Amino acid sequence: MSAAPSLPVRALAALGRPVIAAARATLELWGVLIGTLAGIIRSYGKGGRRPRGAVVAQMYAIGNRSLVFVAVTLGFIGMVMMYQACLQFSRAIGDLSQVGLQFLRLVVSDFGPTLTAMMLATRVGAGIAAEIGSMKVTEQLDALRMSGVLPIDYLLVPRFLASIVMTVALTILGAAIMYGAGGLTAWLSFGVNPRTFFDPAMVQPRHLALGLVKAVTYGAAIPIVSGFCGLRARGSSEGVGWATTAAVVGSSFAVIALDFALSVGALWLFGGDL
Amino acid sequence: MSGRAFVEFVGVEKAFAGKPVLRGMDLAIGKGEILYIIGTSGVGKSVTIKHLVGFLPIDKGEIWFDGQRVDRLDERGFYPVRRRVGMVFQNATLFDAMTLTENVALPLRKHQGLGWKAALADARRRLAQVYLADFADRYPAELSDGMRKRAAIARTLTLAPEVVLFDEPTTGLDPVNARRIDRLIRELSRTLGVTAVVVSHDLPSIMSVADRVAFLYQGRVHALATPAELAASADPIVQQFIAGRSSGPMETPGF
Repeated sequence: MSAAPSLPVRALAALGRPVIAAARATLELWGVLIGTLAGIIRSYGKGGRRPRGAVVAQMYAIGNRSLVFVAVTLGFIGMVMMYQACLQFSRAIGDLSQVGLQFLRLVVSDFGPTLTAMMLATRVGAGIAAEIGSMKVTEQLDALRMSGVLPIDYLLVPRFLASIVMTVALTILGAAIMYGAGGLTAWLSFGVNPRTFFDPAMVQPRHLALGLVKAVTYGAAIPIVSGFCGLRARGSSEGVGWATTAAVVGSSFAVIALDFALSVGALWLFGGDL
Repeated sequence: MSGRAFVEFVGVEKAFAGKPVLRGMDLAIGKGEILYIIGTSGVGKSVTIKHLVGFLPIDKGEIWFDGQRVDRLDERGFYPVRRRVGMVFQNATLFDAMTLTENVALPLRKHQGLGWKAALADARRRLAQVYLADFADRYPAELSDGMRKRAAIARTLTLAPEVVLFDEPTTGLDPVNARRIDRLIRELSRTLGVTAVVVSHDLPSIMSVADRVAFLYQGRVHALATPAELAASADPIVQQFIAGRSSGPMETPGF
């Protein structure tokens, strides 16, 4: 019999296990991303079968079915944020003439895409993980492989493409509603003239570009993270539940982390002029 | 010729989370044979057949199919194997968003590269062979378990596989549907020369359909015999399993 490992060795092992598991999960996540990109090339390359119908179906599922949810949520957030902003501005400097200008800039470059994506991460991310996770635990993914279909090509490629398109579309809609609801609140609660509020003078093309880049990045990240969680589902319904929770948490975290990274990148690129 | 059996497992070992399931399993299956794999739950029956089509990698050992070593293949390398080896899963595993015809047409499109129209027409013919022509445009959720299972078998047979792996094909079916599945397995082997590897607990099936039976115990093939030989075996472990006795020499994890 070999001697039991010493306390430092056991502590190191206890520390190392989650690190190794996290490294493995990161590698697998990258694998899903690379596999999806390769799947797009396979599908749209020479001799590939383009999943047009599946992409349109997913656009409907991701976009149309999230429309009311995103519109209502971002509308309310716009109202609350503008109410608080006007309250603080009026207390601190007493001038509300700049509030609409600054709000629009923030909505375009940050709040619009990020809050829309956060909403989609909960609704769409959970759906993707639950569907793929259920297919995993009921061996439908193995049945796909037996049919000569790569599960990533069949399940993730259409969702990935649809999510990018619809995240951009919903971001435009959500940002418009957020801005409109904010303007209405400023006018009705604080008497801010709508002509002063709805002035796009401060918005530059770089703000629009940053907003667009964020929307596209989030739209790509949500199905990748959620699909990855679904593909990792094990066992039965409990495993699907775990995958769904992990997808919502992971997708939301990915949106926040990417927001930070892209904002820092934009600051570095444009300096304080952002 | 390599001198190997059509399908051969050599010293296969597999563990999950450090817990060994297969511990050096050897099994050779002849062409056209109907071999049943039996044993208690968790002994590695389904794991064994999943190794052959690359769903689970083995830890140690070798797996051979028609003279080719397959245990080292990657996902793409398994494609040609999966064209020749079909699998009927324990659940029907039909795709919910597709009609029966679309389900059956999928492997024809992907493996054989048929156009959608030709694949659908062929799929309808296959469904008629398993008496599901009237249900071709229905979705899986609208059918009974037995119908779904037959559709899954039709999907597996579209590629005219040389080996079909059945994972508990009669589990959850009423006796009439179960015997229909038995008859189908026998016909496949006798008329088309298909090699059938069947994981099952269903003793009436085993006794009436199997050419040979491999009894797995403690990660190895404990007994390999015809059904009649197995039934007459003096081995106390085999006897306990066949008789379905809860007490005896067999060690069953969790009891």
